[in-house]
Amino acid sequence: MSSQDMNTPRPAAPPQWTRFPFPETLIRYSALLGVLVFLAWSVHFLNLDLQRVLGAFPRLGAILADRYFPPELGFILDQRFLMSVLNTIQMSILGGAFGVLLAIPLAWFASHNVTLHRWIFYPFGRLSIMGCRAIHETIWTILFVTVIGFGMFAGVLALTMFCIGFAGKLFSDEIEAIDMKPVEALRSTGAGPLQVFVFGVLPQVKIAFVGISIYTWDVAFRAATVVGFFGGGGMGWYLQRATYELQSTRVAAILLTIIALVSISEVVSGWLRQRLAGERLA
Amino acid sequence: MAMTGTGKPSGGGATAGGGILSGEAATTYFERRRNDRMRKALIWTGVALVLLWCIQVTIIADTDWERIGGRFGVLGSIGRFLLLDFSLLPHLLVPAIETMMIATLGTILGCFLALPVAWFGARNVTPSLYIFYPIGRFMMVLSRSVHEIIWAILFVGAVGLGALPGILAVAVRSIGFISKITAEAIENIDPKPVEAIRAVGGNQFQVMYYGILPQIMPVVLGTIIFEWDINIRRAAVMGLVGAGGLGLVFFRQMAMFNYGGVTMVLLAILVLIIIGEIVSHYARKAVT
Repeated sequence: MSSQDMNTPRPAAPPQWTRFPFPETLIRYSALLGVLVFLAWSVHFLNLDLQRVLGAFPRLGAILADRYFPPELGFILDQRFLMSVLNTIQMSILGGAFGVLLAIPLAWFASHNVTLHRWIFYPFGRLSIMGCRAIHETIWTILFVTVIGFGMFAGVLALTMFCIGFAGKLFSDEIEAIDMKPVEALRSTGAGPLQVFVFGVLPQVKIAFVGISIYTWDVAFRAATVVGFFGGGGMGWYLQRATYELQSTRVAAILLTIIALVSISEVVSGWLRQRLAGERLA
Repeated sequence: MAMTGTGKPSGGGATAGGGILSGEAATTYFERRRNDRMRKALIWTGVALVLLWCIQVTIIADTDWERIGGRFGVLGSIGRFLLLDFSLLPHLLVPAIETMMIATLGTILGCFLALPVAWFGARNVTPSLYIFYPIGRFMMVLSRSVHEIIWAILFVGAVGLGALPGILAVAVRSIGFISKITAEAIENIDPKPVEAIRAVGGNQFQVMYYGILPQIMPVVLGTIIFEWDINIRRAAVMGLVGAGGLGLVFFRQMAMFNYGGVTMVLLAILVLIIIGEIVSHYARKAVT
């Protein structure tokens, strides 16, 4: 009798079944209320007119149809513009490659399970990846343009920073999810941290890294189309010129080119990654 | 390389000496391995050649090395950024709050806009596989392939300067990712609850509300929080093309050549991102 009493003290009255028990419901609804209050406050603070919000999309459609509509497709065949498209692709390849190469050691530092030192290298890797990710690629472009000057080098460096942030986060997530047994085996035989990384970690994440690198290139290409807008070279420069000269039909042509190229790059990267996944299974 | 080169023949000798594998199988295995290596070497050589070509065209040929002015020139230009301008600090609070608001409102608006797109673009619930499904897919690609800066320029042209074009640009840019993940989640649901609700006579709305929504809710909420985190950094640059927030302060400081102030703005963005990352970490834990 005593054991049953001690282990399962019966509540005085069986509680009514609710979908969410008491503290959970309170937290849930107060969080929802907080978000709603913040939204209402922001609408008030930013002085937003809801009618303008709703009218924005019809107006955008009207403006696109009115000013941008017959896109000046002849401009796409312009020799210099085609050259800038090629340059954009090259910039994205270079930025992606440099970014991935720099991201691998940083991701090694920034993954908690195999990092060199948890108090020195781990925060360093984390902070540098987060810093690269936090600053938008356009801001990186502006910064590098002030240091290096207009041109594609600034754009490549900006894309590099962007790719470090993008790939570094995915890489370190991947490293943190590895099987730790080979790492322990290597450590127990007296391997140094570099040997552990090269022989214990890299073989496990190699294929995933290649896949992430292809994806990084895809995203870098998308970013490369606009770094030129802030002086980083490539087709963005033509976009900026056409925008500021109010040549809307030309802007439309450039935008269509960007959409087409990004779709192509997405298809290419998807195809490459699918082949890679097939190789992984085989 | 040398290690693997010597290791290969000795390994081959060992299998041949063991006599367990037939000679033919061993040769095909090693042939396959050699072909594989050759192919990999070819791929890597191609990649290296493309990289060298890109370096030649975009960096060596296109850079004005005179203007950079050697190592000291670069260090000097970087040094100008390090003299922090603390007098800017009180002027950063309101733009930082604005940036946060643009990101939040943009994400919420993006969710609402993403709802129909996800509905159209999910193969198993789309109203029409031949009309609405391609439309939904096209909207996803369109939203993702046009950069947020370009969206902002278009919306500044449509609704004028201020925070509104920033919110709209962030919202439209978020549609693609949110609706893509949502559509994938809808496509991967367990069909049994849906069938059960249909079997007891539930209408289309009840099927959606009780059958589909509870299954996709954790994924969708997690995605929205993730997107909000990304949108903070997007909202921070909207000011560059005239849409308010920290980007505008950045642009002004840059135009005034006040590089210390520029660094302060960057630090403010970093603080916002850290706040966003902490909030999204706990929020994602709460919803999943």
